[in-house]
Amino acid sequence: MTTLGRIRALTSGRSGRLVPLLLFVVLVGYPVVFPFAIYEQGVLLLAFLLALMAVSWNIVSGFAGYVSLGHSVFLGLGAYTGGLLAEHFQVNPLWFMPVGGLVAFVAATLVGMVVLRARGHAFVIITIALLLAMQVLVNNFSQVTHGSNGVNVPLPTWSSDYQNMPFYYMFLALLAATVGFAAWVRRTKFGTGLLAIREDEDKAAAIGVNTTRYKVLAYAASAVPIGVAGVVYAYFLSFLNPIGAFSLLTSVTIVLSALLGGRGTLWGPVLGGFVVTIVTEVANVYGGGTDSRLLVLGLALVLVVLFLPRGVLPAISARLARRRAAAQTVEYTDQAGVASARTPIVVSPRSAPAAQTPGRTAAPLLEIRGAARSFGGLRAVDGVDLTVEAGSITALIGPNGSGKTTLFNLVTGAMSLGSGEIWFDGTRIDQLPPWERAHLGLGRTFQITRLFKSMTVLENVVAPLPTAGWGLMAKDAVSGHEAERARELLDFVGLGRFGAQQAGSLSYGQQKLVELAQVLMLEPKMILLDEPAGGINPTLINRMVEIIRDLNRQGIAFLVVEHNIPLVLDLCDPVAVLSRGQVIAQGPPSIVRADPAVLEAYLGPEWLPADPVPGPVLKPADLSVKGG
Amino acid sequence: MLTLSGIFAGYGGGDVLQGLDLEVPTGAITCIVGPNGAGKSTVLRVVSGLLRPRLGTIELDGTRLDRLGCAGVLGKGVAQVPQSQALFPQMSIRENVLLGGFTLRRDKRLLNQRFERVADLIPIVRERSHDKAGNLSGGQRRMVEIARCLMVEPTVLLLDEPSLGLDPMSLTGVSQLVRDANAAGTTVLLVEQNVRLGLSMATHGVVLEGGRVRLEAPAHELMANPEVAELYLGGAPATHGAGAHPTVPQPVDSGTVG
Amino acid sequence: MTQLVQALVLGLLIGGVYALMASGLTLIFGVMNIINVAHGALLILVAFLTWKTWSVTGIDPILLAVVMTPLMFGVGWLLYKGVLSRISGSSPGMSVLLTFGIAITIEGILNVTAGNKFRSATPSYFSQSFRILGISLPKAQVYGCIAAVLVLGLLYVVLAKTWTGRAIRATAQNPSGAALIGIQASGVAALAFAIGTATTGVGGSVLSVLYPFFPASHYDWISRLLGIIVLGGMGSLAGALVGAIVLGLAETLTATYVSLQWSTLIFYAVIMIVLLFRPQGLFGSRLRQDVMA
Repeated sequence: MTTLGRIRALTSGRSGRLVPLLLFVVLVGYPVVFPFAIYEQGVLLLAFLLALMAVSWNIVSGFAGYVSLGHSVFLGLGAYTGGLLAEHFQVNPLWFMPVGGLVAFVAATLVGMVVLRARGHAFVIITIALLLAMQVLVNNFSQVTHGSNGVNVPLPTWSSDYQNMPFYYMFLALLAATVGFAAWVRRTKFGTGLLAIREDEDKAAAIGVNTTRYKVLAYAASAVPIGVAGVVYAYFLSFLNPIGAFSLLTSVTIVLSALLGGRGTLWGPVLGGFVVTIVTEVANVYGGGTDSRLLVLGLALVLVVLFLPRGVLPAISARLARRRAAAQTVEYTDQAGVASARTPIVVSPRSAPAAQTPGRTAAPLLEIRGAARSFGGLRAVDGVDLTVEAGSITALIGPNGSGKTTLFNLVTGAMSLGSGEIWFDGTRIDQLPPWERAHLGLGRTFQITRLFKSMTVLENVVAPLPTAGWGLMAKDAVSGHEAERARELLDFVGLGRFGAQQAGSLSYGQQKLVELAQVLMLEPKMILLDEPAGGINPTLINRMVEIIRDLNRQGIAFLVVEHNIPLVLDLCDPVAVLSRGQVIAQGPPSIVRADPAVLEAYLGPEWLPADPVPGPVLKPADLSVKGG
Repeated sequence: MLTLSGIFAGYGGGDVLQGLDLEVPTGAITCIVGPNGAGKSTVLRVVSGLLRPRLGTIELDGTRLDRLGCAGVLGKGVAQVPQSQALFPQMSIRENVLLGGFTLRRDKRLLNQRFERVADLIPIVRERSHDKAGNLSGGQRRMVEIARCLMVEPTVLLLDEPSLGLDPMSLTGVSQLVRDANAAGTTVLLVEQNVRLGLSMATHGVVLEGGRVRLEAPAHELMANPEVAELYLGGAPATHGAGAHPTVPQPVDSGTVG
Repeated sequence: MTQLVQALVLGLLIGGVYALMASGLTLIFGVMNIINVAHGALLILVAFLTWKTWSVTGIDPILLAVVMTPLMFGVGWLLYKGVLSRISGSSPGMSVLLTFGIAITIEGILNVTAGNKFRSATPSYFSQSFRILGISLPKAQVYGCIAAVLVLGLLYVVLAKTWTGRAIRATAQNPSGAALIGIQASGVAALAFAIGTATTGVGGSVLSVLYPFFPASHYDWISRLLGIIVLGGMGSLAGALVGAIVLGLAETLTATYVSLQWSTLIFYAVIMIVLLFRPQGLFGSRLRQDVMA
């Protein structure tokens, strides 16, 4: 069962919605029924706070997969913001809740914009450093913050008869709002984009996800609720000091809670927050104070990672799923499904004009001028000039190491261009990030397919984002219209009935077709195909060829890298030949085939034009077509 | 003779190989074909020790291989060229190939001698000797991977999809390398998605389906088998296919397939 | 002028020690793609053990590295075999969380057994200095730096020139590829982790003399060391060296010309600026990553 499926089972299933609702009602009623259970209320409100922070943490570290080890920094920021402002103006700190959220948002955005532009581990490290740096900063700016003397926040104004009950309800309300916020994020395009980033960041960029914006926004979104809660926390504590407010221990408990409950799930962090609070409380009371609490938390973290790495909720739902799936068997389909009849489809409204004039129009769609890129001393692409005309199926062939895939990466933006220019549909694109190129209508498939393996096939197909709009991010991920469109596209490639299956469970050839359907969601004007026939059997190859022809008739241009020469000669016109990073020949297949430079560089001396077609063969019937 | 009997193996989500029995004759080139997901690559992985079978035995001339692990299997002279990349991207080509002789590391003279031989056989090893492997293209990497395997002069060579991502000229090179190694006495077991190519290179063919052997025959017979043609050769019977249209240009003296 | 030279020389000495402490961290990251957040806690553990032994027996603390290094090699081996190897193959995020857990466990153990207070080993040369051309070189710093250079040199030789080193690098770059040529990945990973941890044996003993420490100091150290390897480029030994020297210089210069309390912050500022312009760090290597087959 996928993570998504798990979340869905726990949120949309009847029991899934009922259990939290029931608990919520119980928690709302608790102080009314037991008004004198002051200690219990105190523990519970800390549990609400921790759960809230774990749910927030989960947005960046669970959904997007970027682990933050210093997340309590936002609690400190919120607390200090509220505390200092309240002290200065001598008013109720609660007025400053929005300011606390704003400060957290700004801090996360600024740090995120520096650290999250790159992939990888810098983020984890900076999150720890940020927390420590804030401690030092608050200590050092003693004119403003009173340094280690701390801040005295105005005391609550309500009657002491109420004790902490107002705080209890405030934290409960904030927790409910945060869970609602996280659930909403998860449901939107934004949420799907974050999961896509977790699974394969480069691929996400290639299908139009603005990965930098998504990551920074995820970090900011995970900071805001904590910043807001921080203000309430300051009011609750009524005294702040740097070490206590920017507490490492709090960060540890956040991480532990989310992990224990189930990273990436919606309710897991809530469950974890409650368990961790209660366990540490018990450890405090019976285990001998704060020193041992650290030891208990550390050991708990180690044990959870080792023995419950996915968390409690996923472990439970996996067990349930296994019981349900026990009767089902695995299908080893390959030919079936894809070999069945295809439904025709109009795939690309954007390139509709070209469809009216089948074959080629003379306008250049993609123009590469003097493109070059080196790796170390090796010039992988060395001054390539190449034009792909609108409506054409252009082939790019050449020996291994001639730079074909590198050229693809330069065109799609997966790699930066050393020198030269690339123009697409009248726009210069070589400085644009990959997602903007995708938004312009440039799609690609990969040599080895790169689907998001833990998502379903349908979720994979709806993942691409054809435009950059902010509004789009807030739309439902699998909304009616788009889901319908995705199903149509799946039908079109002959895989309609696999929509609900996990993408990773499909065969290699089927994955190639799903990847093509995925690209079609971008409504591309042009698709770069990297070895569409590589590693799949001839029946599927034939199917792939039909699909490409069909799409081309509707106006989509193709640039195809392929080693299956008969297929290339049959399908593509013109053909460009790349050798040692340069285009050595370009033209109709017949001319290229006879070019001595091409024979020498690529096909090898044994290849004579009069020979029967060597290399992988489609079917004998194809031979006669290309024989002369 | 490499013998696999009653092999059950998989990756946690159920068995991919379901009671596989297979005999790979010494000195032959055996090619395994079959649909995606049939377990072809898994066969190679259990032989090379990358994956331990859940049940069943693997023997090479009477010696059990199935509990030895990668290093042990390599010690018995069985080397694998895997499907995806196996090189060390930050190291030079030379270092990569030399590391192929990791198990011989105590004998420096032998190591250098082997390296020279392999470099003679596969020119790229010398041409790009000091380049980092990470900067090679897919096809070049495949050549270096094979070079690295040859360092141990294996008695059994396992090849996983040698054609994947290769252009025709490299393909000619690779299949020539396979034939040369075979002529020098190496038993070859290869898995190939490109059925026509694989069977034309091989002397024996095996069709795998659902984790079991479905058909087993000399390669040219399989090529002529209408059922195989229907399923894997694109629907056309290959009656005039195999011998008459070798899929890779072959030197005159090695045309043993037809 | 003398003040500047003094600051620069001191910065280099401190940088050398930082490089020593970061070397094991970057090695472990390079080989296993694990960010060992427990590295700082292990340093503090060694510093505590060194301090304890020194205060009981009076043996020179830096000399105690000779005992601590093999001890920590063993600890690293056991940690890997007993704990980290169980999650090999899962996502890098999990290893961060696991080592974070280990770090806190070690801190907790130190808290419970040794108490939460500052300590520092003060051998006879603790406050003495060599004086050359008007510049004073604190003896402890000099000894620490010599130890650092020795360890770094040794590490380099092992990695570049021996089959063990080749096996470690091969496994770092491609575990299944290494397995196919007969390298036992689990053994190599354990070895690399043990070697990386062994460096804390030297680093911790030096630390016990040069810096006062208490159990929670490890956060400070780990964020500094991680900063160094982010700055230099993750996994690169040369990068760690450069990053460490940048940190050392930034700290001493700030302490000399601004004030001591801002010196740590300056370093974080430097990291952010470098990341702004070079997201992969100063020495981060970028090979082509396009070829998948």
